[in-house]
Amino acid sequence: MARRGSIFFLAVLWVALAALAAACAGGGAGGGAGGEKVITIAQYADAISLDPQDTNDNASFSIEKPMLEGLVGFNEKMEIVPQLAEKWDASPDAKVFTFYLRKGVKFHDGTPFNAEAVKANFDRVRNPDNKLKRYTLFSVIDKIDVVDEYTVRFTLKEPFGAMVATFAHPAGGINSPAAVQKYGKDYGKNPVGTGPYKFVEWVPNDHVTMVKNPDYWDKENGAKVDKIIVKPVPEAGTRIAMLQKGDAQFINNLPPAQAQTVKDDKNLTLIQTDGIYCYWIAMNTQKKPFDNVKVRQALNYAIDKESIIKNVLKGYGRVMDSPLAPGVWGYTKVMTYPYDPAKAKQLLAEAGYPNGFKATMRATETTENKEAMVAFQAQLAQVGVQVEVQTLDSATMTAERFKPLDQNKNELEFAGWSSSTGDADWGLRPLLTKDNWPPTNFSIAFYTNPQVEADIKAALQTSDPEKRKAAYADAQKVIMEDAPWVFLWSEVRLSGARANVGGITIQPDNIGYYRSVYYK
Amino acid sequence: MIPTLFGVSIVVFLVVHLVPGDPARLVAGPDASIQDVELVRSDLGLDRPLPVQYLSWLGRVLVGDLGRSARSHRPVAEDLGRAIPATVELTLAALTVTLLVGLGTGTLAGLRRNSAWDYSSMVVALLGVCTPSFWLGLMLMLVFAVKLNLLPTTGRGGVDHLVLPALTLGFGGAAIVARVMRSSMIEVMGMDYIRTARAKGLLPQMVVLRHAIKNAFVPVVTVIGLEFGNLLAGAVVTETVFAYPGIGRLLVESIGFRDYPVIQGTLLLLAAQFALVNLLVDVLYVVIDPRISYEA
Repeated sequence: MARRGSIFFLAVLWVALAALAAACAGGGAGGGAGGEKVITIAQYADAISLDPQDTNDNASFSIEKPMLEGLVGFNEKMEIVPQLAEKWDASPDAKVFTFYLRKGVKFHDGTPFNAEAVKANFDRVRNPDNKLKRYTLFSVIDKIDVVDEYTVRFTLKEPFGAMVATFAHPAGGINSPAAVQKYGKDYGKNPVGTGPYKFVEWVPNDHVTMVKNPDYWDKENGAKVDKIIVKPVPEAGTRIAMLQKGDAQFINNLPPAQAQTVKDDKNLTLIQTDGIYCYWIAMNTQKKPFDNVKVRQALNYAIDKESIIKNVLKGYGRVMDSPLAPGVWGYTKVMTYPYDPAKAKQLLAEAGYPNGFKATMRATETTENKEAMVAFQAQLAQVGVQVEVQTLDSATMTAERFKPLDQNKNELEFAGWSSSTGDADWGLRPLLTKDNWPPTNFSIAFYTNPQVEADIKAALQTSDPEKRKAAYADAQKVIMEDAPWVFLWSEVRLSGARANVGGITIQPDNIGYYRSVYYK
Repeated sequence: MIPTLFGVSIVVFLVVHLVPGDPARLVAGPDASIQDVELVRSDLGLDRPLPVQYLSWLGRVLVGDLGRSARSHRPVAEDLGRAIPATVELTLAALTVTLLVGLGTGTLAGLRRNSAWDYSSMVVALLGVCTPSFWLGLMLMLVFAVKLNLLPTTGRGGVDHLVLPALTLGFGGAAIVARVMRSSMIEVMGMDYIRTARAKGLLPQMVVLRHAIKNAFVPVVTVIGLEFGNLLAGAVVTETVFAYPGIGRLLVESIGFRDYPVIQGTLLLLAAQFALVNLLVDVLYVVIDPRISYEA
């Protein structure tokens, strides 16, 4: 038994094992070979799936979008633009939608894009047996007819004026039916679409690689670099370090506190996007004292939104003047509640609470939320409302939020939402109608108002844009006056890029717009 | 070890299911309607009674099937198959740092007690124990990767990708090892057999190398066995800062989303790994110190 040198043996063994393990680790993603233009993007999270019909998170959508296209899409300003459909029309009763498809387009696997492919694609998501996450988005479709090789007609079960916006939603990305057939349950790891970039590989938690599609149908707007690599980097400080060093050419989710660092660096550009994500404090309108509209309006007057935007968000935010953000189709400017603590106290007194009251405010546990909640607490205390602040981790908060009325402890909840279809319907109906009270959907203020309900319903019954806008304008006015929420701000999203890179940004719905990136 | 793992499987399953949070709603997303949520729930088998879910999971585990992630639908074994080697690599590298730095510093400090070297290295050791690893990691990254451009910032790759994360992760352990080694050396050097060896005429270096270090090493082995567990846990923060695709990140993200199959599979595997390492440590005791033996 070798006693002598056994310690050395152990030490040498450790070092040897470490070296061996390191040597066996595959080489990391190397830089482009000789003249190849490569863009590396550092996102805050990895994709969960690359199948648009099974995706509900922005990180995955951002990676899918350069590869998968829909009948229609959103441009960087969230306007609906033709993509795989050249034009479309809708029946006046908003039940039949016909799309005239682009000719001569091929999927990345060479199979043709046509009406049959579109039918197969949407039949897939609306089949409940496939258990795809985006089932409900398309379940209103009753039948899909292939009128001819390049014309497809959707008939809905009931009128739905916002249907075209639903097709523009990233979940409307069209997958090659041949690829879906081939990969089955693993399609989410092998997306095949029609976009300017095509999928190469996905090493989960490490990187996704896509390369230029030389056969893209729109020659002018095709890929301007050879390869895009997307890496998930959860820590914001690390993303900024990567940008500064040049290990990444674009990063998203830049915290407002670091905006100045990026601005001051002449090798970097700060990119600002006026987002459609709105933040508000939902009040449980079915519980005292929040069932009294004067109390709700009082809280709106009590919060100094501008000061919070300036100090917590470093100026990157815009006060809400409607339950919707500018940029959402159907938005109209209504009014703002100015900061007026005297008026707040007066309203509270009129409502029967001259000495204020106690309440609990809950939110998901993030650094930004905590800073804002502290400000709310201080400002509400000034008008006599004593708020106890609770932060919960995201999973627990979600579970609590979606409890039905009789079990839900919600009094004040600091939350946010954006209409992912860019349409007023999705920005109002899931949040402010009785059918969407938890556990069904996100109406966490348990709010209902007959006028608002009627307006929202009417706007879906027609496809006439003017009639829809009028209905939504009325709804927004009533909601602002009725104040089921303390209306706070819509976000200004920050991202950063190297100064020698252009054509890349974040869309107002928080999904990355990577497809047109180029080196200057 | 088998009964331990069986017990672990029950505890892991219960704890994961009793923690508040609805995986079906989390997977479906806040945007989703209740029909979507129920669809996901039935897809994940969460609508079955708890004992049925446990037995069904256990049954599959025993034939080697760890199930599929609730979020990504990827087989859990595939994700673990990628993440475990990554973390093992990082852990070994960090252990190397811990041992080389810790043993070296601690031995010298113990031999040259109350010298400038002793005091300064113990102060650095104290700092090492107190420094939060995310701060250390970001600082190292800013200095060596960004400003000096010597090393890559993130990710897994060759040895150069391991240097900063290993330093970050191993520094705390090195500090502890240094302190333990120092006291152990001081104690050992005062022993009679050391005096005997010197009296015999052995060179001081030989005394230290042949006799002192081996004996002083015994408490360090215990520390390292415990530190291994800490390394696996501390790896979470280091992996997040350096975007290193290891188990720590996988576990924390899965917990955030209540991805039951991934959490259960990972914890079970980590428990098995931990049990194995402790078994190895026990064996190592016998190798190092022949006075210790186990009744056959």
